[in-house]
Amino acid sequence: MRCCETAPLCDHTDDALPPMTTSATTSDLIRAVEEAGSAEAMLLATVRLAEAAGQCPEQAAVDCLVGVLGFNNPGAAVAAVEGLIRLGEVAVAPLLSQLDPRNYGARAWAVRALAGIGDVRGLELLEEALATDVGPSVRRAAACGLGQLRLDGLPPGQRDGLRNRCLEALVAGQADGEWVVRYAVVVGLERLAGQLEGHADGLNRARATLVGLADPGQEAVPVVRLRAERALASLPC
Amino acid sequence: MAGALHDTPSAPGSGLGGEPISEAEALARLRQTDDQSAQYYAAWWLGRMRSEHPEAVPLLRAALAQRQPRDPAAGVEHNAVARNAARALGKLGDAAAIADLLAALEDDDDGLREAAARALGELRAAAAVPPLSRRLASGPAGAGAPRPGSPRLQEPCEALLEALGEIGVANAEVLAVIEPFTAHDRPLIRSAACRALLQLSGDPRWAEPLLQLLQDSQLQVRRAALMDLGAVGWRPALEPICRTLAENSLKLIALRGLVENGGQQGEDPGPVLAAMDALL
Repeated sequence: MRCCETAPLCDHTDDALPPMTTSATTSDLIRAVEEAGSAEAMLLATVRLAEAAGQCPEQAAVDCLVGVLGFNNPGAAVAAVEGLIRLGEVAVAPLLSQLDPRNYGARAWAVRALAGIGDVRGLELLEEALATDVGPSVRRAAACGLGQLRLDGLPPGQRDGLRNRCLEALVAGQADGEWVVRYAVVVGLERLAGQLEGHADGLNRARATLVGLADPGQEAVPVVRLRAERALASLPC
Repeated sequence: MAGALHDTPSAPGSGLGGEPISEAEALARLRQTDDQSAQYYAAWWLGRMRSEHPEAVPLLRAALAQRQPRDPAAGVEHNAVARNAARALGKLGDAAAIADLLAALEDDDDGLREAAARALGELRAAAAVPPLSRRLASGPAGAGAPRPGSPRLQEPCEALLEALGEIGVANAEVLAVIEPFTAHDRPLIRSAACRALLQLSGDPRWAEPLLQLLQDSQLQVRRAALMDLGAVGWRPALEPICRTLAENSLKLIALRGLVENGGQQGEDPGPVLAAMDALL
């Protein structure tokens, strides 16, 4: 039984009648986002749309939430990212297909959403973003996301290969010119290392990178060194 | 706030927005005087890269003495090379530049005075406290009065106030000069004054106005208050900073300030680091 009249993405199994107004309500919520006259109104409308989409993710609502990422409204973007992360898998394809190469603010939010969802389809984008994106906020979100892809359900051979790609991307990221990206590389490595228990080679490579980022001879920024020391202390054996 | 460019495009490897050049090339570009836009870029490059080359500071001091008119057609600000040289000298941390920067603080160009004041603050130049105080002594109605037909004030008050806070000479005369600016009409000036007083005195009553400015209706004001609380390293601001409606990039800079500039001896920075992790 469908709960959405258009582009059903969810499959509710409870057999109550779907409310006749579902679609109208969603389009009302979308219109409220599109026509918001102030930053506060936009935030409120986005929160409502994200909540409604969480109940029943219609395609138009997901697309609208992705669109909010490009509105230069940080409050609304946070709400949209949180909503998209809660939606999870159904948001991955719209996020990947609607990336705007000219708006790095919007890309940063999209990469954050993909990082939070942790879907393996985002790996290539995260690698490319950390290595080449001109926006430090995009690279920082990508570094974080490379530490938290959900790989558990995959066959071990494939999983190890993908983890290795994440690790190599993060190791290369230690040379980034922006402190905040190197900070995010530390956090990404710490999270990835949590999945590397028993993989001595990978752990050694992560540890060597963190030792460099904790070393005043290599790393000039105190907060990065401090965070790297904490990550080293938390590494599994 | 220190005019922080919080999310400027930058190549991942270099951390630079402009073309990659070598240190030797930067020094050569600064040494010639025919092409001022090349000098302008070179001065910025040497500061940004924290050049330790022995010629860098002497060349920047020479560039600080250059004067040139504003050229709106070419997008060149008044004394552009000298202003960038002042900014770079602040970053290079060499006390040999202090005398020249004190001279620049007396220039007719208030934009150059602004850059010199910030540099003297970064160099923690105690010798700058008397001239900075003198420029502010006429208070909000004098130094802080708006110039007719311009968004600028009579003096670059924000930079002068911030410099006094950075330098850290906390005597009663300095505090008395700064305090009237906490009632200035413009929130950015109030923010700079509270920041300086909080840095100098550690008195929590100057934190309260800054925390209120985090909720200002203007994004520009919220950003300034974030930067100012970070510059002070005011740890009790952790939660209010996290709640502020502003870009994560700026909150991360502010929280870095809480870690690096603040906290009692032995106080655990863990909660600040956890908040930073959540903002990435």
